[in-house]
Amino acid sequence: MAVARWGDLRRHAGDPWLLVTFAGAAAALGIFVLYPAFRVLVYPTWQDYLAIPRSLRWMQAARNSLVMMVISTVTATFIGLAFAFATTRADMPGRRLFRTIAMLPLFAPPFMVAFAYILMFGRQGLVTKSLLGLSANIFGWHGLWLVQTIAFFPLAMLIIAGVLDAVNPSLEHAARNLGADEWTVVKTISLALARPGIAGAMLVVAISVLADFGNAVIIAGGFPLLATEAWFRMEGMGDLKGAALVVAMLLVPTAGLFLLERFWVSRRVYTVVTGRGSRIARPPTPAFLRWAAVAICTLASLLIFLVYFGVIAGAFTTVWGRDWSLTLDHWRLAADRISSLWVSVKIGALAGLITGTVGVLVAFLTSRSLPLRHVLDFLAVLPGALPGVFVGVGYVLAFNPTFIGGTMWTLAAALAFWHLPMGYQAASARFKQIERAIEEAAVNLGATGLRVLRDVYLPLLLPALVEAFAVSFIRAVTNVSIVVFLITPGQVVATFVILNMIQNNIWGAAGALTTMLLLLTFVAIGLTWLSVGRIVRSPGVG
Amino acid sequence: MEPRVKEPHVRFERITKRFGHTVAVDGVSLHVEEGSFTTLLGPSGCGKTTLLRTLAGFYRPDAGDVFLRGVRITDVPAHRRNTAMVFQEYALFPHMTVAENVGYGLRLRRVPAAEAVRRRGQVMELVGLVGQERKFPHQLSGGQQQRVALARALVVEPEVLLLDEPLSNLDAKLRIRVRSEIRALQQQLGKTTVYVTHDQEEALAISDRIAVMDRGRIQQLGTPLAIYHHPANRFVADFVGLANFVEGELSGPGLVRAGGVTLAVPDGARDAGPVTVVLRPEAIRLHTEAPPGAPNVLRGRITAMSFLGTLARYWVDAAGRQWTVDVPSPGEAVMHGEVFLEIPRERIHLLAAE
Repeated sequence: MAVARWGDLRRHAGDPWLLVTFAGAAAALGIFVLYPAFRVLVYPTWQDYLAIPRSLRWMQAARNSLVMMVISTVTATFIGLAFAFATTRADMPGRRLFRTIAMLPLFAPPFMVAFAYILMFGRQGLVTKSLLGLSANIFGWHGLWLVQTIAFFPLAMLIIAGVLDAVNPSLEHAARNLGADEWTVVKTISLALARPGIAGAMLVVAISVLADFGNAVIIAGGFPLLATEAWFRMEGMGDLKGAALVVAMLLVPTAGLFLLERFWVSRRVYTVVTGRGSRIARPPTPAFLRWAAVAICTLASLLIFLVYFGVIAGAFTTVWGRDWSLTLDHWRLAADRISSLWVSVKIGALAGLITGTVGVLVAFLTSRSLPLRHVLDFLAVLPGALPGVFVGVGYVLAFNPTFIGGTMWTLAAALAFWHLPMGYQAASARFKQIERAIEEAAVNLGATGLRVLRDVYLPLLLPALVEAFAVSFIRAVTNVSIVVFLITPGQVVATFVILNMIQNNIWGAAGALTTMLLLLTFVAIGLTWLSVGRIVRSPGVG
Repeated sequence: MEPRVKEPHVRFERITKRFGHTVAVDGVSLHVEEGSFTTLLGPSGCGKTTLLRTLAGFYRPDAGDVFLRGVRITDVPAHRRNTAMVFQEYALFPHMTVAENVGYGLRLRRVPAAEAVRRRGQVMELVGLVGQERKFPHQLSGGQQQRVALARALVVEPEVLLLDEPLSNLDAKLRIRVRSEIRALQQQLGKTTVYVTHDQEEALAISDRIAVMDRGRIQQLGTPLAIYHHPANRFVADFVGLANFVEGELSGPGLVRAGGVTLAVPDGARDAGPVTVVLRPEAIRLHTEAPPGAPNVLRGRITAMSFLGTLARYWVDAAGRQWTVDVPSPGEAVMHGEVFLEIPRERIHLLAAE
């Protein structure tokens, strides 16, 4: 029944606009998703690929990336689990506060944690130098480890909390009733049921760590990584082939993990979300677990607080590490570069519009029984498997020689289509919530395919559209991984300016501009919340 | 003048519809007369909804054709058929008011505003929704939502009105009220109606004709009376109402030997051989003393009783088997112990053994 056949075309023959729209959407995805990826993969010759194992630098970068992936994933998932556990047990002190704090890194630009920790734990660090009198070097793998752990554990928390929350309290009570003590209940029921969720969280975090460009470029120092190597190749040496080769190498593990998550783990989730809130209280949590979780959460919350505190404090401090007096000088310097913020807003709005409309349109088309709709679905989720730097290099290779090359349209399109899976999946989820019979009722009364979209789906999907716009906008204005490849001299965006400031140790102005970017983000989140009643989250990846 | 075979309003011609390897509808032919109320009745998975949706154009049959007034409409897409449907979950547009919901079909047909308002008002009055125009579906009760769905379908003046289990989301009392309202409305408008339900009582109460379906086929087509009293096979007898089944052997004219007893049955054109006796529980009479002179009297013992208000249901062991017997209007009388079953000959229905 779900299998679309060519024969179904006949049923849509009376609806040519639907077919035209379908062809248009397929062409857009082909050009803006598939073609750049294809260009990256075929740019190096097969001899270039075969030479990879002989390049010491690349093998080292690959090894480093994998090591970071393993250690950062383990720690981020562990802290995410502690938070998830703490926020889903009713008898946990401070659970709401912890949940709110843990969400904060999700709204931060993807380089912000690294930047803040340089200010806190670096050579001039407030904590390391001024408070403890240490001479610490945060640059390198250990700094990156800390940064990625804090930046990405909220992703793990969200996924694991979703699963833990869905564990029916009746099951826990049933176990108690059969004679299990508190610890046994947690071990054999709650955590056992959450195991697929934990595995899924690890995969999502691992992908994010591998693709993390923003933090790595700031704090990894001389530690070579695949995600940053591509940019160094292109910026430093103009080596386009090397850049393509490195991002192709990076694609293998990220795409592999992505497929694993999508087709294996996500189908092994035991818990079923019924929507029927069976809200009986859970049995008590063992005391030692309660306090262990609270201790971990308190420490992590402190580290998160330092992220926001560091950046904002940096914006008001005369000379970080030496002169702690307050000043507004940095804001004057930042104000000189405020035009970059408007460019960010312009490109972000453009990207948001494209992500929203294409996302809703593709979600609508894949819900039709049209042939090739699975191909469309695949193309719409594919960007989720691509690291930002891969997309950046892909768009350079694909569109720089064309008429949109070097314009802000290339950057906007790259950001829009990279974020398409979020808009598409949000819209798809809404589509599934809308009863099929509602659409049939419209058709039954005489509505054609596109008329159904206009009269029934668009009004019902408007919240999804707004949400997709907001997520895409926020991620676009805070992006660095794609921006660094597609930036053009006339259209410099705020994140690029900030990145340059940080690398040139102009910390105060960088802090001020980052604070403005944060304000912009929170205004966007607030407006979205006011209009659709939902808090959008934008995991700071890339 | 040459007698002309009157073309039925809707004609299903050997419809087959498969989903994967399951055959949902298996070569069904059915005529629906103009102005009639026809019900497709059967258990879930019998193909009744599939058949209805084939008429609405949501499914294209794998074989066979659908005709509307003799015109083949098999390939006409759903939105170009004038077969308005009332959905099981109502499927009201949640973002439109009651008036917008009801007026939607008119908007699609580009009916001029003044006329649309007039027609909408008429239908709203017909179903008793006046005053609710500006509410949204979620502000209405289940019964009111049901009326909106009905109004939305009626306002476009469909060729055929389709109803897919429209009462299943209402509570028991309301269900009975709305079903008689639907029937009264249908008769008032003379609208050809195809109705799908799994509730046999509903089907008996509301229909001109019932098509009882099972495993993708029509098992029997007939009036409610015929379906109930003269079921064509064991499935129909079992699905519609309660029945006692007794396997036996037609041994002579009007005589069935079943186990140790011989029952006098109506004379029929049936050949001698194995038969199944079908007996409705309310057809059997219960006596505390043997009724003199009556044929078909069995001595038995009551094993259980269930009081249902309008009737008392007894389970009686007699002639080596259990019988279900309904005593109508029992009042406060309760029987127990030894009883006599009297089986009126004319109430016995015979089936060929399957």
